[in-house]
Amino acid sequence: MNKNKEQLLNKRYKAEKRFRLYGQSAIFMALLFLTIFIFKIFSTGYSAFQKTWLIVPVTFDAELMMLEQNPSKEDLKDADYYDIALKSMADLDPNANEDQENELKRMVSYFFEREIKRELLNDPSLIGKTKDVYLTASDDLDQVFKGNYPRDLPEDQRRVTDYQLKIFDQLVELGKVESKFNLSFFTYPDSREAELAGIASSFMGSIFSILVCLMIAFPVAVLAAIYLEEFAPKNRFTDFIEVNINNLAAVPSIVFGLLGLGILLAVFQLPRSTPLVGGITLSLMTLPTIIIACRASLKAVPPSIREAALAMGASKMQTTMHHTVPLSMPGTLSGTIIGLAQALGETAPLILIGMVAFVNTIPGSPLDPAASLPVQIYIWAESAERGFVEKVSACIMVLLGFLIIMNLFAQIIRHKFEKKWS
Amino acid sequence: MKKNGVKMIKINSKNVDVFYGKKQALFNINLDIEENQVTALIGPSGCGKSTFLRCLNRMNDVIDICRVKGQIIINDFDINDKSCDVVRLREKIGMVFQKPNPFPKTIYENISYGPTIHGMAQSKNEMDEIVETSLKKAALWEEVKDRLHEPGTGLSGGQQQRLCIARAISVKPEVILMDEPCSALDPIATAQIEELIDELKKDHTIIIVTHSMAQAARVSQNTGFFHLGELIEHGSTDKIFKNPENKKTQDYITGRFG
Repeated sequence: MNKNKEQLLNKRYKAEKRFRLYGQSAIFMALLFLTIFIFKIFSTGYSAFQKTWLIVPVTFDAELMMLEQNPSKEDLKDADYYDIALKSMADLDPNANEDQENELKRMVSYFFEREIKRELLNDPSLIGKTKDVYLTASDDLDQVFKGNYPRDLPEDQRRVTDYQLKIFDQLVELGKVESKFNLSFFTYPDSREAELAGIASSFMGSIFSILVCLMIAFPVAVLAAIYLEEFAPKNRFTDFIEVNINNLAAVPSIVFGLLGLGILLAVFQLPRSTPLVGGITLSLMTLPTIIIACRASLKAVPPSIREAALAMGASKMQTTMHHTVPLSMPGTLSGTIIGLAQALGETAPLILIGMVAFVNTIPGSPLDPAASLPVQIYIWAESAERGFVEKVSACIMVLLGFLIIMNLFAQIIRHKFEKKWS
Repeated sequence: MKKNGVKMIKINSKNVDVFYGKKQALFNINLDIEENQVTALIGPSGCGKSTFLRCLNRMNDVIDICRVKGQIIINDFDINDKSCDVVRLREKIGMVFQKPNPFPKTIYENISYGPTIHGMAQSKNEMDEIVETSLKKAALWEEVKDRLHEPGTGLSGGQQQRLCIARAISVKPEVILMDEPCSALDPIATAQIEELIDELKKDHTIIIVTHSMAQAARVSQNTGFFHLGELIEHGSTDKIFKNPENKKTQDYITGRFG
């Protein structure tokens, strides 16, 4: 009898030990995956925040630029920079033949003309003089300099020629290649050229979409939640509505995209590819999330507070607006932010309403065409150039940073404003 | 209180039945409440005494499935009549709950809430005065006068309950309903509240639901005994405790059941 009890006790201890072990290994696995994921993203992405520049001497030859004597500011703007730009690249190798000159030109981005122009506009006294100008290196050389490009491939499988590599190595030797912080990643819109592509357009697109989404989803959801929770009679019909709201939260996001495509674009003829349409579509998705969060936090307000107010002679409306709703706000707001964070990371519905289009302008309002951060990731991940690989990871880092800040904000609101009741 | 030797009746309930869905919770209650007296409602758990109390300021309206039948007449007016406005009714009939439930706001805001929504103060000075007199009447003023703008939820349990009483009397109600106001408090806080109840009956009619026979005997002038949804016996507290007519009352107050 006694022995039997001891065995039972031992068994119980062992079972508990095993259970703890399972739990610990589950947490370990989760942390491991997360670490691998973050490490991968960072190790691939960090180099995108650096950009490689070639320092090339440019001679601002007035004749080649078709400039008269004493040119005005307007003249400088209209001048022809292409020839001096070409010449300064060709001058890197005085013995180059025509083909090689072409290769030399492709060592920098097609913005080289603009970069030279900007230099002169900043300092018009440069006319007739020679100055070292920073030119954006082509994405392939950028990758070579960062060590991401396999130089030992046979030449016909490489996008950089042996000749380009030779000149590039000479420049590196002379200290004419420099790596600097890649500001243009944040200020340029998307581009077909990896070295010139930035997230400005998709970042603004995301911000506008989220704002539109917030302005539509928040008031509608909060009003719906307050009515359902505090005022609506509890009957079959409201039960039915509740079930449907929960169903709505489970609808795959791509379905909302089809809705946006079929109704907002086809019926209401709203402009395609714009954050306005994206925001409205996302708000449909966010709506149930906010309603559920708001109702849950209304439910969490103790009934004793409502009774206290009612017994003081407050009307239903006063009780709700003076006591219940303010007390539920922290929960509602953090639910809203989490809903918006979900919307921010949403890709599928935006692709359907055309926000996947190539946009190389920065949107100034929700009515301008734009991409969004997750869609930008999708677009770049599809591109073949090596330069986009690191851009994808860098864009993910920006998106994750954005999400972390939003979730942190939700936490802070919850902790700071949540009232403790006795 | 007797005026010219006649008992003044404040609340007169006739044939009150209460149903929760299909289940009947109160059966044909006829109970008169005397003005400016303390009436205690006693009885075992689930006997309907709290339900009856909540009929008096129509707090049962909050419960969807609850239906009240019969007449409850206060100041010659049937509060179950359709023309009765619950907001006006609850302004006249205050309530203190079992668990202290101050608003999670400052002490001052807790008291000023009622007068604000009923438009009882024209200026800040008037409001300050209402807050001060209410707190003084609830014997809380001395303890909180230096921290009126701190949260009411930071007070001790007994102080919170007195705050709730101060909040109830801030709108000068004619009747105060108390639903086991001391059940969450220690003996010292309970004694303070009982003393307060005695003081308050000068200006208000008080109805208190309590589980403590001793408390009923200490604070009330009249007592009603409920059992299984019926009012078994009611009368002066003296008579109920010393000389009950009904066997069940006798058994209950001597602790044989309940």
